[in-house]
Amino acid sequence: MAAEPTKYGKAKAEFVYMLNNEINKFNVFFMEQEEDFIIGHKELQQRIKTVMDKWSSNGSRTEYNDEMAEIRNDIVDFHGEMVLLENYSNINFTGLAKILKKYDKRTGGLLRLPFIQKVLKQPFFTTDLVSKLVKECENIIDEVLFPIEEDKEETKEQKGAIMVATEPVKGIFRNTVVALLTMEEIRRVSSTKDHFSLPPLNLPHSHLIHSFQLNSPIPIL
Amino acid sequence: MPSSFLALTSFKDKYSTSPSSFQVSSGREVMENSVSLQESSLAPSNGTLGNSSLSPSIVTDHMCASALPHVQHSHNPAFISQSSRDLASLLPLDASFSQSTASLIHTQGNKDVSWSLDRLQMFLDLPENTPAPNQLVESSTSVLASEDHNKKTNWQEWADDLINVVDPDWSKILDNTNVLNPRVELPKPSGDISKQQPQFHQNQLVPHGEFSSHAYPSSTAPPTKPRMRWTPELHEAFLEAVNQLGGSERATPKGILKLMNVEGLTIYHVKSHLQKYRTARYMPETSEGTSEKRITSIEEMKSIDLKTSIGITEALRLQVEVQKQLHEQLEIQRNLQLRIEEQGRYLQMMFEKQKKVEDEKGGAPSSASDDLLAPLPGSKHPPCNNGKSDSEALEQDHSRTGIGPGNAGTNEDKSSSGVSTKQKMPETESTVHDESGFSVSKRARTEK
Repeated sequence: MAAEPTKYGKAKAEFVYMLNNEINKFNVFFMEQEEDFIIGHKELQQRIKTVMDKWSSNGSRTEYNDEMAEIRNDIVDFHGEMVLLENYSNINFTGLAKILKKYDKRTGGLLRLPFIQKVLKQPFFTTDLVSKLVKECENIIDEVLFPIEEDKEETKEQKGAIMVATEPVKGIFRNTVVALLTMEEIRRVSSTKDHFSLPPLNLPHSHLIHSFQLNSPIPIL
Repeated sequence: MPSSFLALTSFKDKYSTSPSSFQVSSGREVMENSVSLQESSLAPSNGTLGNSSLSPSIVTDHMCASALPHVQHSHNPAFISQSSRDLASLLPLDASFSQSTASLIHTQGNKDVSWSLDRLQMFLDLPENTPAPNQLVESSTSVLASEDHNKKTNWQEWADDLINVVDPDWSKILDNTNVLNPRVELPKPSGDISKQQPQFHQNQLVPHGEFSSHAYPSSTAPPTKPRMRWTPELHEAFLEAVNQLGGSERATPKGILKLMNVEGLTIYHVKSHLQKYRTARYMPETSEGTSEKRITSIEEMKSIDLKTSIGITEALRLQVEVQKQLHEQLEIQRNLQLRIEEQGRYLQMMFEKQKKVEDEKGGAPSSASDDLLAPLPGSKHPPCNNGKSDSEALEQDHSRTGIGPGNAGTNEDKSSSGVSTKQKMPETESTVHDESGFSVSKRARTEK
């Protein structure tokens, strides 16, 4: 796109500059987290191996249980954090797309399409590695950590019902639920729907998710 | 100089080896307060410095306005300056952004670093010249690229002179600082620049950041720095090297770097990665001794969060379920977004081709369609099958009427991204001749 030497051109350049700053921030944060996850993933695998080895050679059941319980907790949280990073990536992309769309609408410009093409290639949006780690994590969780089979669907609803009555949910779990709800909200039918918009979201167990009591992260005084 | 003096410090608890060392960390908290926090605490002991008065200043408004997810507060937010530290002040900023620019100092031989990776990254949105392995981001050129060269050598020297780079994140900054200087020169003239250049010591490296409203790259590409992006394979190589050298505590970055023997990997990358690695190992190890306590606290937490009758395992299961769901939805959404953009790009290409053809031929619809038919199906591969058939339908439309509502799909199913875009095509075709610009989305909305 040629730079128009007009006031509009300058404003546009300013706008692009600011967008680029934001994108850089996303990239930096994302890659930092990604690096942490690569390390953490390996460490978790190592820990499991160590505990397994210790147990097979030593045989202390309680110690094994304790340590596995801890690992179990850590893995689930780790999984949650990675998914939240994916969410971060996606939300920011969605935000950029909306901003660009608004810009084009307001200024009659043609910035959106070429710019978003470049955004697609940015590190923060190329989440393949994180996705792969998440899947591997899920495998570990399924195979190693929850070997006890349980009765499924009917109790799930039951548990959900019990959940409703509890205290507000905190932490990674909370953020995950919020993320799902937000996604649902964003994709609800909007007035500016065009062929670039995402269709409405249909979540399985959405009533369950909606039933969680979520307190506000910012204390309202 | 009426610039406000702020030193941004960012740090992470587990990284600090001493109470007075600060390092940039990755975290998720927003760091708005630190800017104001540091304002009062900035009292550098500059008396021992040989240089003329320099003071750090940091961009305020713009940076505060945006969330910085990866900076955390530590328990000790004071700005510590030591005798060997040199503070440089930078250009005043354009009023539209802020009153001051960031200055970041790194001194050799001491562990105190006061800076913000985020801030720097904001300034460093210029193409970078040093390659890094495994990085998927290509740097885009900007108008300033040509000016990089004369400044580049300066920074390289500074970078080489640095030996004890404690905070490894600096490495990324240092690698990128060579592109900063040209920016400094560009906008509002300030007599400070020429004064400050000769003040750089051999031991000091002061990356300058400039936040100006005038120096914009003309391209629409986000000017990304080729930042180091780690991969599992690279990490494995790293681990191997570390183990060969006797463990994370004993291994030195230099040794690791040598053993890994990866082109483009700098010692700074290794340093930062080693630090992260050590931290990751340190935390589980400390917890082993108190594992019982931890478990009870975890139990308490879980039982408070989710009813006791559920139990930890069930709580974990539920958490995993919800997380899995979010992951799945995110994947679906991402794929949708990719395909939508792909379709959009395809559409635009076709419109442009058609426009071009019409401009050239000037009113011979049938020949226009021939030209369209020839290059498109072969050159482009639509993401989904119906894409191809629909594009052919479009071309047939062109041949028949030049412009006109086509019969592209009566499928109202919007959940299929490809189809929904096709649906719009007949409506938008009629607008192409009306206006020269490609504004499909706008028209589509009004017609809806």
